[in-house]
Amino acid sequence: MSDATDAAGESAAGLRAAVDRVFVVAERELRTLARNRALLAVAAAFFAVVVGLAGAATGSPGGYISLTFDLLLPVEVLVPAVAFAFAYRTVQGDGERGELAVFRTYPVTRLEYVLGVFVGRASGVLVVVLASLAVAGVVAGTGAEQPVSFFASHSAGDTPVVFARFALFAAGYALVATALAVAVSAAAGTTRGALGGSVAALVALAVGFDLALVTAVSSGLVDAGSIAVFAGFSPASAFRGLVFELALSPALATPSVATASPVASLVGLLGWLVIGLGGGALAAWPDTE
Amino acid sequence: MSERVLALEDASFSFGDLTILDEADVAVERGEFVALVGPNGSGKTTILELLAGLRAPDAGTVRRPTAAARSTAYLPQSPGFRSGFTVRETLAFYAGLLGDDGDGVDVDAVLDRVGLGDAADRRVEALSGGMTRLLGLAQALVGDPPVVVLDEPTSGLDPDVADSVFDATAALATDDRAVVVASHDLAAIEARADRVVLVADGAIAFDGPPDGLLAETGAATLREAFSLAVADRDRAAVDAAATAPSGGDSQ
Repeated sequence: MSDATDAAGESAAGLRAAVDRVFVVAERELRTLARNRALLAVAAAFFAVVVGLAGAATGSPGGYISLTFDLLLPVEVLVPAVAFAFAYRTVQGDGERGELAVFRTYPVTRLEYVLGVFVGRASGVLVVVLASLAVAGVVAGTGAEQPVSFFASHSAGDTPVVFARFALFAAGYALVATALAVAVSAAAGTTRGALGGSVAALVALAVGFDLALVTAVSSGLVDAGSIAVFAGFSPASAFRGLVFELALSPALATPSVATASPVASLVGLLGWLVIGLGGGALAAWPDTE
Repeated sequence: MSERVLALEDASFSFGDLTILDEADVAVERGEFVALVGPNGSGKTTILELLAGLRAPDAGTVRRPTAAARSTAYLPQSPGFRSGFTVRETLAFYAGLLGDDGDGVDVDAVLDRVGLGDAADRRVEALSGGMTRLLGLAQALVGDPPVVVLDEPTSGLDPDVADSVFDATAALATDDRAVVVASHDLAAIEARADRVVLVADGAIAFDGPPDGLLAETGAATLREAFSLAVADRDRAAVDAAATAPSGGDSQ
């Protein structure tokens, strides 16, 4: 075999080993979630709120479009809350017990470790978010007495596709929130620091970034015509923008004026995901090699 | 001829104005059981972290084995493990971090080796302090590393349990593995260690067999020799206002 073939083989084997280590860490995180009753209670509360809102709206006009409107704000606020509840102590706890120092004597890199933590915790968050939204969708679907055409008037109309897109964007938003929660956990030295950092990050996610954008517009730093693009810089605004532009707007009889750029929103969410994972890896432990 | 597997060469490290090591040299050979002793605040934990690769020296070199999948094992003082998992699950997780090299790890055999075989199905939060240290030792054996570095594995344990854990620690060195342990358990060190490295005032004040330190100080026991050796040294950590630069007992 040539040197190039040997190198390619070694590279593939190295990548396989790295992926294996990521999943070893992810499995530990999933088992931790499954055995934590407090987190199961958080999941149950989220499920109750989402399905409860869907049940309360049953029979009201609007079907899936109405349901999406009803759930947009609660999901925007509660999904990060669930993500932070699921992930805020994970890396910090490993550090507090001295396990991070021990991990460093194994052939696992800090990026593999953080990716594993993220995959495990995000899997739990996604199960909770998507299962809740799926049940909410079923409740809304079975509760509708007749097809409603008041809000939707063309073929795209009020179909489950609207709600499926909403759930898809909620899943993306959940991934970003989980990545940021892992980063906060990695940066925190103590449980109190992790809790405080999580609350600060949640406030920033819920209102801080939007407030900063409004301030920037009112002070003239950002042109009002560019709000649609700049809204993508805030994870919550990016999620909201995607829901309005790609889930709700196509189904409305008279689509509203564009308030967000889907491309900027997608790039914004992807950017926050990379920042969360990259920041988490850098904060997990110092590079001493 | 013995093989050198771990070494500090002209290594210097400081926390601001606090010098931990100044151009120090220490070498450890395969199969040696080396005890690192020194007053509180002398930098024992930091030196262990340098040896384990958890810190980089400001100057000089740290040499560790490179051929092994896991070259150097480390056990911090008062180790902890994630609750909700059994002893066996915890060790299997650590073996999994080795990737393919972990496939050959016989978790139950490793637990038997440190005396935890009967507790394999017990949750880690239900372990006593001594058993938690033994699980830490079992973790240190995963991947069969040629060097094991342990920070005060017997601190906070009652004398009988401490002796038992120290015996298990000393046994790690019997199969050609180098073991470096920081400890204040001077009676156990005197009975079991091949070498004592005394660190004080940013320097290696003594490096040799326990008997050598007794001869040098004229003491009858290592405990007495320790007090004589550090009597005129700066006991920075005894000062409550002194900063604790790293983990452990403010070392």
